[in-house]
Order: sequence, then structure tokens, then C-alpha cells
Amino acid sequence: MRIAIAGKGGTGKTTIAGTLSRELARRGRQVLAVDADTNPNLAVTLGVSGPRAQDILGLPRNLMTRQTQSDGSTKVVFTADPEEVLREYGVTGPDGVRLVIMGKVGHGGAG
Amino acid sequence: MCSAHATVRGLLGEIVARTGNGRDIIVDMEAGLEHLSRGTGKHVSRIIAVVEPYFRSLETGRRVKELAQELGVGNVVGLANKVRDEDDRRAIQQFCAAHGLPLVGEIPYDSTLAEAERAGLPPIDSSPAGPAVAAIRDLADTLVAEKGLH
Repeated sequence: MRIAIAGKGGTGKTTIAGTLSRELARRGRQVLAVDADTNPNLAVTLGVSGPRAQDILGLPRNLMTRQTQSDGSTKVVFTADPEEVLREYGVTGPDGVRLVIMGKVGHGGAG
Repeated sequence: MCSAHATVRGLLGEIVARTGNGRDIIVDMEAGLEHLSRGTGKHVSRIIAVVEPYFRSLETGRRVKELAQELGVGNVVGLANKVRDEDDRRAIQQFCAAHGLPLVGEIPYDSTLAEAERAGLPPIDSSPAGPAVAAIRDLADTLVAEKGLH
């Protein structure tokens, strides 16, 4: 299953996303948890803490490359090997949940 | 287009393209709605809109559904959270029924979660027997049992 947890701030999205990820992993499923919040704190709810939490790198922007299409237009595409990205930038928490975190959102026109 | 959001979207797209349904993906979305228009939810098969029993939260849930449909994610469900009593339950059920947002579950208000948050502990470890974690456990069972949910 591929599920996004959405809603107004403070409704408990992160608690639900983290706990649901752990519960699914306990059922023997391979789980990837993605923190797409600009103020990431899914790691705490998952139980990834201490030194490992400090090690989590946000996904860098250079995974995307601008490519010229046949019609001359350009398109930004994901060019990295996703499994390698998960290995390099993800951390594994309790119950085997793999966590990746969105990189810092740019300001001043980058948004 | 914000590149941080685009990178997440790109990664999810590649994972889905290469491994299909081989792994479960749970995305904790940014609060509010802006991210939806950026397409962060494009590669998920379902969006769960967490709603609390007050108008602005419910209204956000309704908007999530609208925007998700524009994005092509037709499968949007509500999940009632912090439900304290029958009035809360009725408020959420009535709003969601009126706006075509089916509810996938209900999580009761659980004071032990606030304690876990203060202590920086995961609820599943700090209050595994609490009603909220129990409800999320039930939700996991419901989702796993559902056929056709990829």
C-alpha cells in the first residue's frame, strides 16, 4: 500500500504515520516511511532517536537532473538509483522501518 | 516548483516504477494543502485525511479531497482523530457524510500521547496499551485486509 497522511497542522498526522508504519512493519511488511513535512519530526514518532536521528540527511536536490526533451523543452527528472538513495540517505528504525526525510525547502523564490 | 518536494515526488515515482507494490510507503505530508498542489501525493494510491472534530480541521479534510481529485488520486478517506465522545463522533461523521469523505477509522483522544510527545518517545513504545495506539493497530489490520489497495 502507498498512503499519504494529510490534514491540518496539529491533527496528529505524524503520530499516526509513525505508529502505522511500525504496526505494518510488525506484520512482516517492508515499510518505507517518508517525512515530507518541512518541519520533520517523524523520526521521533518512529523511535529513531539519539545519534542515528542526527545522522539522517534530507534528500539532496542533485538527485534531480534537468533534461532536454525531443521537442526542445526541458524537464527535471529523477536520475538517481532509488535503492541506492534509500541506502545512502535513509535510516532504519525499530521494527525495521526505513525512514527518509525531505531536504530543506528553499526560500526566496525557490519554493 | 519547489525542488525539495520535487525530489520526494521523483524518488517515490522511481520506487513505484521499479518495485511496484513490493513495499509499503507511508508519507507524512506537510500540514495544510500547498504540498498537494505540488504533487507530493502523486504517487500514492490513497490519501488519508486526518480530521479532528472542529470545523477548520474538517474543512481542511474536505479541501484535501478536492485537491487530491484534481491530482488524480481518487482514493481519499477520512480518519477521525482525538474523538472524546459521541458529540465528536457525530460531528465528524455528519461532515464527512455530507462531503463524500468515507471514514476509514476512528482514533479516540488519548492523554498518554501528549505525555509521550513531551518526553520525545514514540507512542507505540511508551503507551502500547493506550486506546490511540490500539486504534492505529486496528487501522493497520483494516488496511492490510483490504483488497485492491496497493
